[in-house]
This record gives sequence, C-alpha cells and structure tokens, in this order.
Amino acid sequence: MAGSNEVKQNESKRVVPLNTWVLISNFKLAYNLLRRPDGTFNRDLAEFLERKVNANTIPVDGVFSFDYVDRATGLLNRVYQPAPENEAQWGIVELEKPLSSTEIVPVIIFFHGGSFTHSSANSAIYDTFCRRLVSVCKAVVVSVNYRRSPEYRYPCAYDDGWAALKWVKSRTWLQSGKDSKVHVYLAGDSSGGNIAHHVAVRAAEADVEVLGNILLHPMFGGQKRTESEKRLDSKYFVTIQDRDWYWRAYLPEGEDRDHPACNIFGPRGRNLAELKFPKSLVVVAGFDLVQDWQLAYVEGLQKAGHEVKLLYLKQATIGFYFLPNNDHFYCLMEEIKNFVNPNC
Amino acid sequence: MVPYDSDGLAGSAPSSSSSITKPPQIDGLLAGAGYKVPSSELRHVAQRLERLETAMLNSASHQLSLLASDAVLYNPSDLSTWVDSLLSELNQSQPLPSLPSDLSDLVPNSTALDSSWGMEHSLSQQQNQNISQHQQNQLMVVTALEEDSAIRLVHMLMTCAESVQRGELALAASLIENMQGLLTRVNTGCGIGKVAGYFINALSRRIFAPAGSISGVGSCYTYENELLYHHYYEACPYLKFAHFTANQAILEAFEGHDCVHVVDFNLMHGLQWPALIQALALRPGGPPLLRLTGIGPPSSDGRDSLREIGLRLADLARSVNVRFAFRGVAAARLEDVKPWMLQVNPKEAVAVNSIMQLHKLLASDPTRNPAIDIVLNWIRNLNLKIMTAVEQEADHNQSGFLDRFTEALYYYSTMFDSLEACAHHPEKVLAEMYIQREICNVVSCEGSARVERHEPLAKWRTRLTGAGFRPLHLGSNAFKQASMLLTLFSSEGYSVEENEGCLTLGWHSRPLIAASAWQAVPDVEPALGVIDNNGVVL
Repeated sequence: MAGSNEVKQNESKRVVPLNTWVLISNFKLAYNLLRRPDGTFNRDLAEFLERKVNANTIPVDGVFSFDYVDRATGLLNRVYQPAPENEAQWGIVELEKPLSSTEIVPVIIFFHGGSFTHSSANSAIYDTFCRRLVSVCKAVVVSVNYRRSPEYRYPCAYDDGWAALKWVKSRTWLQSGKDSKVHVYLAGDSSGGNIAHHVAVRAAEADVEVLGNILLHPMFGGQKRTESEKRLDSKYFVTIQDRDWYWRAYLPEGEDRDHPACNIFGPRGRNLAELKFPKSLVVVAGFDLVQDWQLAYVEGLQKAGHEVKLLYLKQATIGFYFLPNNDHFYCLMEEIKNFVNPNC
Repeated sequence: MVPYDSDGLAGSAPSSSSSITKPPQIDGLLAGAGYKVPSSELRHVAQRLERLETAMLNSASHQLSLLASDAVLYNPSDLSTWVDSLLSELNQSQPLPSLPSDLSDLVPNSTALDSSWGMEHSLSQQQNQNISQHQQNQLMVVTALEEDSAIRLVHMLMTCAESVQRGELALAASLIENMQGLLTRVNTGCGIGKVAGYFINALSRRIFAPAGSISGVGSCYTYENELLYHHYYEACPYLKFAHFTANQAILEAFEGHDCVHVVDFNLMHGLQWPALIQALALRPGGPPLLRLTGIGPPSSDGRDSLREIGLRLADLARSVNVRFAFRGVAAARLEDVKPWMLQVNPKEAVAVNSIMQLHKLLASDPTRNPAIDIVLNWIRNLNLKIMTAVEQEADHNQSGFLDRFTEALYYYSTMFDSLEACAHHPEKVLAEMYIQREICNVVSCEGSARVERHEPLAKWRTRLTGAGFRPLHLGSNAFKQASMLLTLFSSEGYSVEENEGCLTLGWHSRPLIAASAWQAVPDVEPALGVIDNNGVVL
C-alpha cells in the first residue's frame, strides 16, 4: 500500500529537522535490510554499515575517552571524562587517584539503544551523545558494550550490565566525594533503558547502591496491542512489526511479550514494592508508539511507592536526542543535569 | 514547536572568491554521526530515501534478502551515493546469483567474480579534507592495568620518555634503573608488564647506546627477520587480513584483463600470492597471464632467495595452469628501485602491492626530494590499475618524542594483548620478537635508521590524494570475507571496521591495521582557469 505509507512518511518529516529525518530514516531502512524474516540477523552487513569512532585520550571539546576491556569477560567499557584543567595532564589516563576527594562527581553508566540488536558503545551517534552528557552534567560516563541479540539473548545484556555496574563500583579512580565512594547512576535509551531498569533491580536486590535511573524512551512491551501502538504504527520511523521482531530476537525462544524482561508490570512482572529502588527519570516521546507501555511503567513505579519523574515530550520522535537541533534535546539535557546534580 | 533549521555547518565561512574549487560544506551534525552529506544535498538525499523506502516496500522479501546478502555496498559514510546504489540495485530486475558461503579453501574468488554489476565508486566527489580531530590523536585501549605496580610503571615510562625529550639523560637513566626494579614486582608474562619490558629495553638502547650505533635493529633484511615475520604471520591475523583484503581488491581490479602484472614491494616468502594465483586460476573465462615482480633485499648469504620464492610460486602456478612469470628485484631500500627495473609492459594491467612498506619512505633527507614523493610519482605513471596499501594504523611519525612514545606504548600494548588472546601458536614468542623490533625502531632510532614511521589512515589519505591518487573503495563483500577470516583464525576480540571505503582490523575498538586501495587520477590539463570575482586567476 504505497500510498498510505507515503502519507505516513510525510508526517514524520514535518516534526523533525531535515538532517534528523535523514539520519533516522537511513537507520530505519538499513535496519529493514538487516532483519531477516526467519529471525536471524545480518550481523556482517550491520557491522559494515555501523559508523564507529575511536576513543581519544586527548580532550575534544572538553571531553576525553578511553576504552577499558575487562580481561575476564571480554566486555568493553568506554569511559568518558571531563578534560583535566591542567593541559600538561592531557593524554594521561589516571587509574589510581579518585575523581575528587571533596566534590561528588556522578558516574553515569550508559547503556546504548538499538533494540538489543544494533549499535555499540563506539557507534558515532552514541559516542557523541555520551560526550555531550559529560559536558552538560560534568559527570563521568561509562558506556557499556553489552552483548547483543539475536546471538546473545536474555539475560546476557542484563548480565553484562550487572558486570559493568560491579566493575564501576570497584574502581577507586571513579570514587569521589568525602565519603570516597562511586556515585552511580544508570542510564539508557530504548533497549538501554530497559537494561538500566533490570540492572537497577538486581542492584537493589544485592544492596548495591544506585543513586538514580535515567530511562530515555525505554523499550518495554507486552502481548496486547495498546492504543498508542495502533495509532502510531509506521508513522514515526517505527513499526509494531519491527518491535515484535526485536522482542523475538531478545527474549528466550518460545516466549511472548508478557515475559518479565519486556512487560515490567504485567501479569508476570516482579513485585518491586519492597525493593529499595532508586529514583527514576523516565523520558517519553509523544510520537513513540511504545509510549503506553512506558507510561504504564511510570505508573507501576508510582504504585510501588518509588520516586519517579516523567518527562513527556509531546512533539518528540524517537532519537530526538541524537542531534542537538531541537528544543527537546536541550530540555532533556537540563533535566538530566538536575537529576544527577548532587545538590538536589 | 518548530523544528530548528537543520544547521550546524562544518567547513569554513564562505568567502568572496569563486566556489568552484571549494569542497562542499557538509552538515556538521550528521558528520558527528559518521555521515558526510553536503548541506546543499540534504533535501535531495531525503527524497532519495523516500524513494528507497517505497522501492523496498514494493520489493518481494526474497529480493530484499538478496540485496542484503549479495549486493556489494561501498562507503556507507557517503550517504547520498549509498542510497543511490541501493536504489539501483533494487531497480535491477534480474535475480542476483547467490554466493557460495563455503570458505574452506580460503580462496577469495566467488564474491569478487559473482558480482555481476560493476563497482560503484564515488567518483569526482572530493574527499573531505578536514581530518577529524578524533583520528589525529592518541588512541588507547586499556586492557590490563590492574596492578598498581603496572600503573606506576606506565607513569614512569612516560616520565622517562619526557626526560629523554628534554635531553635530561641522567634522569632518564636513573628512571630506567627504577623501572627495571619495578619490573621484578610485576607480572611480565603478559599484559602491560610484558610490553613495559620491551619499552624499557628500547629506551635503554636510546639512552645508553652511543649516537649512530643503532642500526642493526633498523635493518630488517636478514634471514632472522624473515623467520620472525613468518611467525608473526602465523600467530595473529594482521598479515593474513592484509593479504586477503589486498588480493580481493586486486582480483576485482584485474577483471577483464588478460595480461596482469603484480609488483610486490616486499616479497618476503611470497605468502600472499598462492591465494591470488589460485583465485585467478578459477576465474570464469580462464586465468590471465600473470607476471609477479617481487622486490626484496639482496641476499646476504649468497642464496638468491627472491629467485627461490619465485620458483616455488611458478611451480604452484603451473600446477593450476596459470601462465606465470616471475622477476626478482633486489634492492636494499625501496627508494633504490627504479621503474625501469620493473619492466612494465604497456599492455598489462599493473597492481602495486605495498604491505607495510610505504611508511619506510617517510624519513626525509633535507638534501634530497622526499623519497615518498618520488616513489608515488613513478607508481602513478606505471599504467596503474590499482595500488593496494596496508599500513599500521598509528601515529608513530610525530616529531615530538614523547608523543611518539606514548602512541607507541598504547598501540603495541593493544597489539600484544591481541596476540595473547590468539590460539596458542608454538613459537608465539618469535612473533613477539618481530613486534619488539618495530618497537625498538620507533623508540630508539632516529634519522634514516628510523624506518618504522607509521602514519594513520587519515594522513595517508591526504598524502595519496595530494599525490594524484583517488580511493577505490573496499566494499561489504571484502568486509564480510575479512570477518569470516577472523572467525576461522582468531579470538573474539578482533574487529573489522569500515572507514570511508577502507577496512581496518583492530583489537576490540582500536584499529591496528588499515587496508586501502587506490588508482591514479589521470593528468588532465585544466581547460578553464579558476577566476575569482576580481578577475584574478586562482
């Protein structure tokens, strides 16, 4: 039905800047090529197409980065830090002394999006985003290169997230403040938001302190079709069909979308009421077809007695934060900055 | 809310002069996402994307599958060309041949030969000359800095290098002593401890050896070095990747030619060529006449090793019915080779193959023309069909010693880590010695003795385009083949990446080797001068 699809395409074009439209449409079409109907994924072509950037110990725009590979797990974490004030120290990576012994420096563990299947910590879009996070929040960001589906299904991404959290917590050089501890926040967009939630649950169960969760249009779902899914299907870059594919690729084979990894407060969801769960900032894009599930998540957290702030960006599509060319981007950055600010 | 104007232009402010020769301004925000789209073309690219979406929706799913698995795609950073190439693939009505996925004999034949459509190069689009800051500076993968002593060792190495740069040799010497002491407390069997040992050794040579006496390390041309090279080839995938990728490109370039001539800038044991000979043998329509000119050092022990290798390759060629002729050119240095020695026939298609040799031409002698320029110039004039160049992806030719040292420390640490993770090879320590010699050369040699003058891809791009070459993009088929090669030979940490038409092989996220292919831009007399608004010829 080419005609109605063209109408749908034009809608998204009207609400995002042209270069954003080009960027996200390109992803959409490339991803269409990569997902095979039989549930397998063309990983070679995906890696060929992925735009990656190197880490750089020399600061660029006030931020430097380096990659750390955990020998035991093979997991790669990319660490982003504000540039040292003293230029003589540029290029040297400090792996002994804490970030500060007086001030609190938040460490944001970031899980990139990609519906559990696409992207990496060194993808250009995420490298750029993490650098902006460092600049705005004056925080350290650790971006986790978790294993992806369909090659690695649930719970691998969560296991990797948990390993990353433990790794971060145990680095003396990420400690700050007079209490000499690592002040950790978990953050992620799309599937990364989903991972952040589950890692936070595990942390709460293990009494590992996480100061807050930042979920940027997190990837949640469920068996039933919600109103937003039906209304927004195909209109703003995302289709129900592709969401279904990604869940089938991530969840254990044979499972449906009411699996607790996917449907947090659904019939098989875990009761979070007694857990010491961190405060959450949940960002929902008004043109995201998954929003009903995200709003249900917010409601579920509230009912369980946990602190949650909802930032609903009515005119935003998914991926609005990739390019800083719209109000939503700046609004988001401001909210995140306030959220991790130790003085709040 | 009104969407902002999609601005964020990169490039300089517009000037009053004619814009004919200026590179187009690219959208700065998309550049940050890894895509080069001129701002003026955004709308056009958007339209093409819409058309592509419609075309994809109207295609049968098997057509899309074929597109994804069989189409050879190039340079995804150039979004405009990429979208157009997908559109033209979809518009072709005939079904595409399917590729055999069996790689058991590791011959890079099928994919190259079954691509029944020509390569789409992004011609005439001037390469964006702005070298991204990201690529110019120091890259680092921290893999094993767990031990406190190891961290301290690294800091001391840097301090020592800094004192060397400042000429404070007494201080440097005492630091060497301290470090040697620290080494006893560190695990030198692996990780940073092992690498630190090599760097301390290299620094010692620099500090304690009398000026001008360090030469043996720089001269690679000994039987011993060939042995080490062989083990380096076996123990890790870097050379195999280089050979494999270059052969793929050469094979494609030779399509349709009956007389072909490969000039190998460093024959060594000729390990690269059996695969190419076999691939040419299996070419539909039959193999061409293949000439191979192998350049190498004069043999020091009376053997004619070039000829021996040539004979072995000739035997192989004979066994697969490929008409083959070999010629050895003995030269102590690459710059001593003159084009007439290669005896290129005007009717043949020539491929120049340089695996980690070009950087050796970068030592500049102020009294003469730079060797690199001389060599690149005669390569261009050789009736060149393709030049394959593989280089270390590192900035080891920086003028400041400390910068060079730091870069090398990070680079070789990563390389050693990757080696460690490889399947056990009986003589792995010999492969390490090969690498150690490179380290020594980078750190302890200077002037013409320092031949390991590695430069990163971005710099080579500038140099080669400035010298009259243009890139031949390596595509998704080469990428896929390289990825498969890795799974056959090595451990999980290796990664192949596509970088604007070139392929890099690296360890985790750090590229270590970059492979690229080039052709010569034909000399064209400018028909029109470029004149600015004042009538001045620019």
